[in-house]
Amino acid sequence: MEERNMNRQHMRCTQAGEGQLPCCAPLANPYVPFQQTEPPRYEARRGLVRGTLFPGLELPFLGMVNEQELTDTPLHELQALGFAIQELALYLDTHRDDTEALELYRAYQDLYNRGRETYIKEYGPLNHMSEETSGQYRWLNQPWPWEFRENEG
Amino acid sequence: MFVYEKKLQYPVKIKNPNPRLAAIVITQYGGPDGELGASLRYLSQRYAMPFDELKGLLTDIGTEELGHLEMMGAIVHQLTRKLSDEQIREAGFAPYFVDHTTGVFPTAASGFPWSAASMAVKGDPITDLTEDLAAEQKARTTYDNILRLSDDPDVNDAIKFLREREIVHFQRFGEALQLLREKLDQKNVYYMNPAFDR
Repeated sequence: MEERNMNRQHMRCTQAGEGQLPCCAPLANPYVPFQQTEPPRYEARRGLVRGTLFPGLELPFLGMVNEQELTDTPLHELQALGFAIQELALYLDTHRDDTEALELYRAYQDLYNRGRETYIKEYGPLNHMSEETSGQYRWLNQPWPWEFRENEG
Repeated sequence: MFVYEKKLQYPVKIKNPNPRLAAIVITQYGGPDGELGASLRYLSQRYAMPFDELKGLLTDIGTEELGHLEMMGAIVHQLTRKLSDEQIREAGFAPYFVDHTTGVFPTAASGFPWSAASMAVKGDPITDLTEDLAAEQKARTTYDNILRLSDDPDVNDAIKFLREREIVHFQRFGEALQLLREKLDQKNVYYMNPAFDR
C-alpha cells in the first residue's frame, strides 16, 4: 500500500473531474488518472439518472444530460439503490482501502435489502432465491422487465 | 454461477414504436462494440487475470454488461412492438424483418451477425486491459452516433445512461492497469507475461 502511494502524486487535486497520475512513470504505457479517494457523489436516485454516482466522471455528449426525475415507485427505489451499490463496487475494486466508500457501500446494502423485501412481498420474486410466502408461483406473473408497460415505473 | 434478476438496471419505457431506429440500435445488442461482446470479452478475460482487483473488476463489469445487453434487447423489443404492414416495409427495417420478424437477434446494424472476432482474449493482462480501454471508447462512440441519429427522447434517455457507463468503465480499467503495473518490474513492465510466467 505504501509503495503504491509512493508511485502516485501526493498532491490533492481540487476539481471533481481530476485525478492523480504518477509523477514519474515507465514510458510506453497508457495512463488514466486515478480517481482520488472520497470523491464528490450524487445521491442514489440522481446517480442512476445520470449514469454515474460521481459528478467528476459525468461527461455528457453535446450537453445531453438526463435531467428527468424518476417517479417514486418501489422498483425505481430498488434500481437506484442497486445502481449505487454497483457503482461503489467498481470504485472499491480499484480503491479497496477507501473506508468511507466502504461504509457507504454497506449503508446502501442495508437500504437495498430492506427495499427488496418490501418489493418482493408486493410484486413477487426477483429471482428464484426470493422467498415465496404467498402460496402461489408468482415467478410467472407480469411484468417481465423488457416489456412496455404504460402505467408502471 | 449467474442468477437472473427480474428487473432492468435502468428503466426502459419507449412509448412510440420505431422500426427504423430499432434497426440502428440493434448494433449495441450484437454489433462489434455491443454489449454481448463486452460481457463475453470481460467474463472470458478474467481467467487469465493474476490479481484479485483485476479478477473482481472484470467479473463485476462483465456482469453489468449482461444487464446492458438486456436493456438493449428491451429497447429493440419495445421499438418493434405492434407494427403495421406499412411499418415493416419502412426503409431500414425490412432486411432485418425478413430474417428475424420482430425477434431480437444479435447482429450489427450492417446485418453482420455477432462474431467473437469482434473481441479479443490475449491472455496477457496488460494487453487485455488495454483492449478493454479501447472497447469502452468504441462503445461510447457508437452511443454518441446513436444519439446523433435518434430523436426519440425515451430511447435517448436509456442510451445516455449506457453511454455514461462506458466512461465509468474506462476509468476503472485505467485504474486497474495502474494497479497491475505497480505490481510488475518497475524498470520493465513488459519483462514477462504475469498471467503465464511465474
